[in-house]
Amino acid sequence: MVFKKYFIPRFIQYITVLLIGITMVFIIPRLLPSDPVEHQLNRMTAQGQYLDPAAVEEMRETLQELYGLKGGLFQQYLIYWKRLCTGNLGPSFTQFPTPVIELIKTSLPWTVGLLLVSLMLSWLIGTILGGIKVSFPNSLLTRFMEVFAMGMRPIPYYIMALVLLIVLAFVFPVFPMAGGYSMGAEIGFNFKFLLDLLRHAFLPILSMVMLEIGGWFLQMRNVASNIVEEDYVVYAEASGLPRRKVILHYIMRNALIPQITGLALNLGFIFGGALITEIVFSYPGIGNLLYSAILAGDYNLIMGINIFSIVGVSTAMLVIDLIYPLLDPRVRYQ
Amino acid sequence: MPILEVKELKAYYITEKYGRLYRVKAVDGVSFQVNKDEIYGIAGESGCGKSTLLKAVSGLLKPPLQVLEGEVIYNFGDDVLNILSLKDDKQRRQVRGARISHIPQGSMSVLNPVRRIKKAFQDLIRAHLGSMERSRFEEMVKKHLDALGLDWSIMQAFPHQLSGGMRQRLTIALATILKPDIIFADEPTTALDVVVQRGVVQLIKKIKKEQQNTLIMVTHDLAIHANLCDRLAIMYAGKIVEEADVDVIFNQPQHPYTLMLLKSLPKLGDKSIRVSAPGAPPSLIHTPSGCRFHPRCPEATAHCRRENPELLELEKGHRVACFLKGGC
Ligand SMILES: Nc1ncnc2c1ncn2[C@@H]1O[C@H](COP(=O)(O)OP(=O)(O)O)[C@@H](O)[C@H]1O
Ligand SMILES: [Mg+2]
Repeated sequence: MVFKKYFIPRFIQYITVLLIGITMVFIIPRLLPSDPVEHQLNRMTAQGQYLDPAAVEEMRETLQELYGLKGGLFQQYLIYWKRLCTGNLGPSFTQFPTPVIELIKTSLPWTVGLLLVSLMLSWLIGTILGGIKVSFPNSLLTRFMEVFAMGMRPIPYYIMALVLLIVLAFVFPVFPMAGGYSMGAEIGFNFKFLLDLLRHAFLPILSMVMLEIGGWFLQMRNVASNIVEEDYVVYAEASGLPRRKVILHYIMRNALIPQITGLALNLGFIFGGALITEIVFSYPGIGNLLYSAILAGDYNLIMGINIFSIVGVSTAMLVIDLIYPLLDPRVRYQ
Repeated sequence: MPILEVKELKAYYITEKYGRLYRVKAVDGVSFQVNKDEIYGIAGESGCGKSTLLKAVSGLLKPPLQVLEGEVIYNFGDDVLNILSLKDDKQRRQVRGARISHIPQGSMSVLNPVRRIKKAFQDLIRAHLGSMERSRFEEMVKKHLDALGLDWSIMQAFPHQLSGGMRQRLTIALATILKPDIIFADEPTTALDVVVQRGVVQLIKKIKKEQQNTLIMVTHDLAIHANLCDRLAIMYAGKIVEEADVDVIFNQPQHPYTLMLLKSLPKLGDKSIRVSAPGAPPSLIHTPSGCRFHPRCPEATAHCRRENPELLELEKGHRVACFLKGGC
């Protein structure tokens, strides 16, 4: 019953969103005036290679085949889905003929690692401090936190990131300037490499945590301070429940609902990469990959990354829908 | 000895906006006594400070509400307690819910919407009796629910799954399960439809009789006071203006405000249009000079505009605050 009435409609919605999103990814590049095949052929001839027309024609065919640009639009669309289902996103244009999926596969772990850690850290710290702020409005720690959160907000992120980089990597070279790990480091699961990884990830993570912590803190504070005024909290106080109980089970329990939804949504955004962070710290993640793909007009790569983030965000939305009734019984599975 | 004695209580909401201090004088020098086993009613237009009075009397002081003056003394027979002078908030919590309890307004969402009803009972009982075996807990709650005509199955429900009347019965069950000495009911029937209202009043009456607790009934609905209370206080703009036995209030009202309130009541067989109390209650931030009722009073004199009448005993058990009725 629950399954039929709650899950199936949401699942259908999920599939529909995916279909539309991925179809858009198919359509948009085809509306652009530039043709990646001609682009690539031009580049080859521009390099001064002599190619006889027959060879050019042959190459054009091969490239069209590779890019899925052969045949009518509908035929292309079918091929597009067929390839997608086998995990084939076509070759990259700039790093021809490396498949796009390979490039994404090497970049994704860096981004996911970086964003997952900073998201979880900032969420946890922001949420806990927001809760403390409302429970103990006069505590020194949270007063400082409030000033910090308000003060950080107007600072553009890239400026803060650059300042961190200049101060902690250049003026006082405590942390490395760039990259995900040291040149020539042995990649492997050992202490030395892990430490190296951490040292490289520290500044990017710090910059993102500093940026995001304030948002989580303020959201938690605002939601919880409204809940404090709710009748059920006042009544819990009037019933003489211990303060701890009121804070945990009446205020925090309810304030966590929007926090958890926010967290789930942000988990979905991870697959889009952290563009500015990765550029400033030259971190080898999806954001950097996307940036260079855009600069070079590498359509396949842009499309591939977009598909990943579409899937990421819509899956996160589905997960939110599915867990929401567990968090808030007013929204039942019906 | 009365079970509850309130002396010269002043409780204001003090807030600051753009550097200016606002003081809402919601309870401004209120004194009264409630005897054991009595039903004491408090009536008055909404906004006159009834709820604030209950909050202050039960020590529920949270900014911006502050008690500036006064004493609240409970005499439970075995224990005398000056609730406002308790240093430790823990001690106040031990009294609230166990020895004094609240039945809040019917429309209020007083139960946490994301927790089952059972949890509310568990929390309350655990807070005051400590943790107990599940079977004992269930037996205790079942017995009480039975007495109130409620079914055990609602324990598994969430608040939003129940009707307003059902929720109100539940809060009555919560307020009485620990057999408190005093019950404060704040507009327990407001926002319920008339049929349900009667049921709720009957239920409160029945439990009160069984448990022999003292009941303080706050509502603007004079009809409820008429058929429930022993004594009645009329509140106006943060002050008690008249207090007497219920039938004295209804048959020989003295204060012009009480008269005005009674005039606005419908009477059986009377077809004339009721005049609702003319004028609006005053702001509690900028209170009128002198008697707070003078701007609406048909008989106000120059004296009323200057001086504030005290609540004085006109005859035994009948107190009035009015210069025209022998006040000074
Ligand atoms: N939290 C608050 N802050 C400021 N003023 C308040 C607050 N709560 C109530 N008041 C004011 O106090 C006065 C008395 O309110 P209340 O005790 O709720 O009246 P009643 O219960 O008689 O309707 C009203 O003027 C109301 O506006
Ligand atoms: Mg009220």
